[in-house]
Order: sequence, then C-alpha cells, then structure tokens
Amino acid sequence: MANDVGSIPDLVQKKHDVGEVVKIICLGDSAVGKSKLMERFLMDEYRPQQMSTYALTLYHHQTTIGNKNVVVDFWDTAGQERFQSMHPSYYHKAHACIMVFDVQRKITYKNLYNWYKELREYRPEIPCCVVANKIDADLKMAQRSFNFGKKHGLPLYYVSAADGTNVVKMFRDMIKKALDYKQNPRDFIDEVLQELENFDLEKKEENSEADEDGLKTESPEFV
Amino acid sequence: MSFEAKRCGVQFNPPSIVLLYVHTDTKKMRKRIIPVRSFSKYSDCSLAAENLKNHPRHRDYLDRVSQSQLEKLHIILRDHLQGFSLEHSLASFQLNADEDLNKLDDEILARKKGQMDKLFEMNKKHKDDPDFVYDLEVDFGKKSQEKCSWDEESDDGF
Repeated sequence: MANDVGSIPDLVQKKHDVGEVVKIICLGDSAVGKSKLMERFLMDEYRPQQMSTYALTLYHHQTTIGNKNVVVDFWDTAGQERFQSMHPSYYHKAHACIMVFDVQRKITYKNLYNWYKELREYRPEIPCCVVANKIDADLKMAQRSFNFGKKHGLPLYYVSAADGTNVVKMFRDMIKKALDYKQNPRDFIDEVLQELENFDLEKKEENSEADEDGLKTESPEFV
Repeated sequence: MSFEAKRCGVQFNPPSIVLLYVHTDTKKMRKRIIPVRSFSKYSDCSLAAENLKNHPRHRDYLDRVSQSQLEKLHIILRDHLQGFSLEHSLASFQLNADEDLNKLDDEILARKKGQMDKLFEMNKKHKDDPDFVYDLEVDFGKKSQEKCSWDEESDDGF
C-alpha cells in the first residue's frame, strides 16, 4: 500500500521532468552503415519510426547526463541521401551532427566534403564528428590518419557497427556535445530560440502554479 | 538418409532451381531440378525463397542451402522474366568499391546491401555472446598512424 502511494508523486515527477530535448542528425552516403550504428547503440530500445513520405527515420532515446534527464531525437536518412542533399527541415534546430563514411569505399570519404558544406550552410556552429565505420572489415584502416577531420577541426572515431567498437563512446560524446551546444549556443538564431524556450517554460510554470491555487478561471467558450 | 548440397543454380527454361547434391548413404552425386511454380516477374523473391526452403518435398535436399542464396537465385530468375541479361543480374550483386551507391535505385541498392550484410553478420557480436561488451572502447593510438592514401590528391576540403 505504502508503495502505491509512494509511486504516484514519482509518476508526476517524471511527467514534469522530461528533461532537455536535443536533436542529433546523421549524414553520409548510402550504405555506409548509419542505421546499423543506430541499431547497435540503441539495442533493445531500437524502435525506429519510419516516415517514408519524408525518406526519414526517427529514433527516440532517453538517457541521463550527469543527473539530468535528456531526450535525444536521432534523425537518420532513409534514402534521402540519394539526392545528394537533404531537405532544409532535416537540419532545422539540430544540435549535433554525426557524419559517417565506409572505410572500404573511398568515394564515401570524398563525399564527406559535400555533406559538410551543406551542413554548414544551415548549421554553421553545431558540434560535428567524423565516423570511420566498418573497421572490422579492414583493421588496417584504424591505423590510418584521415585528414578531413583534422582540416575542419572535427573529432574522428574509428568504429564498427558489427562488433561494436567505439560505437557507444561516440554516441555518448555527441549527446554531451549536443546538450552543451543547446545550453550554450554559438549561433545568434539559436540563442534566441533558447531564450524563447526558457520563456515558454517560465510561462508554463506560472500557469501550473495558478492552477494549483485554483485561480484559473475556465473560459466558457472552451467547455 | 541425408543429402549434402554441393552446388545450387538456376535454369531459365522452364524457370527452375537446380541442385547438385551427394546422397550421404550411397555417396553418389545427383541432380535435382525444382521447377519454380506460380512465379512471375512481379513475385516476391524473399517469400518465394522461404516457401521453397520449407517445401515438404524439397526441404531435406535444401537443408544446407541458405535462404539468402535461394532468394538470390529467385532474383536472377525474376530478372530474366523482366528481360534482363544474366550479366546484369550477376553484376548487380557485385560490390565495386569505386561505385557511387547514391546513384542506384532501391532494388539494386538492396542487393548491394545484402552483399555487405554477409560480412556484417559474420563479424557481428551478438548481445547473447558471452564476450559481448556493450560499451566496447578501443584506443587505436595516434603514434603508429600512417597517412591514408585517400588524402593524397589534394582536393579542396581534404
């Protein structure tokens, strides 16, 4: 019984404390393993939401960073990369970007530059990383230095979606960076958006307080 | 009585799957021709392969033939019904590291991904494996690194 009573405030607490929401996008050529990486990171949580009209797959992930709840929306392409370009809404309000290439196919590495240029048109400041995937297929490639990341000041991760090498580390690092960016945006528009979001939250809190005090009057036209 | 599949192929006319197998009792090599029935250029190859794999009259013979190989053979048969050459079909399964896969249609891309998946599945660590580590970190070190030849042509951005 005591447990039952105890669990109610818990539920309420959870509802109000969904935490920060960040959006992380994946970029890269067809068949470099973007979805396989998502699947490896999310494991049992892997329940993609296919939006085939938009050639888009969304994944929802909940985690804690420090003692903060964070909700991550991962955006993955579902064939849209075929057009060598993504719809602007893909980039809209993204807080971090994961760019993937296949160490077995040079063309996917060379195409990183096109993806990067497009990313920076829409999101000049968000944290971004380069992911060298499929190193299980050719371990020698993990002993190679790739200049692209260095040139643009982006961290490089050698990963394998198949055996799991560095997948979780890469995702966790990027979630932290996305959160950090959201809280300290370096882009003017983002700063404004963050201010608006805080403003919204304050307003909501005021409303709910008013609610508790029974001050809220119901407007008849909504009944 | 059991059968050891040796080779598996197709015959276009009439559309059939051809199996060479050894009878384990007699050690004799035999050939079995399995006509592919109610199969058209619109058929679902994955389903057709599954049905054949579980077919009561053929399943014992096909025990050692993977469903993905049967699917591939059905794709070749369907390509033929659609008027594509055998060369086209075989090339569509080949991985070519220089090919831009962004330019392929869904169907051909799926075939390439199917090929890639074979290696993926071979190297895949499953979460039920005793040595599975979810958060596997490997530090490849920076000291022993060589420059990658992919950076040699000095294009913009690299």
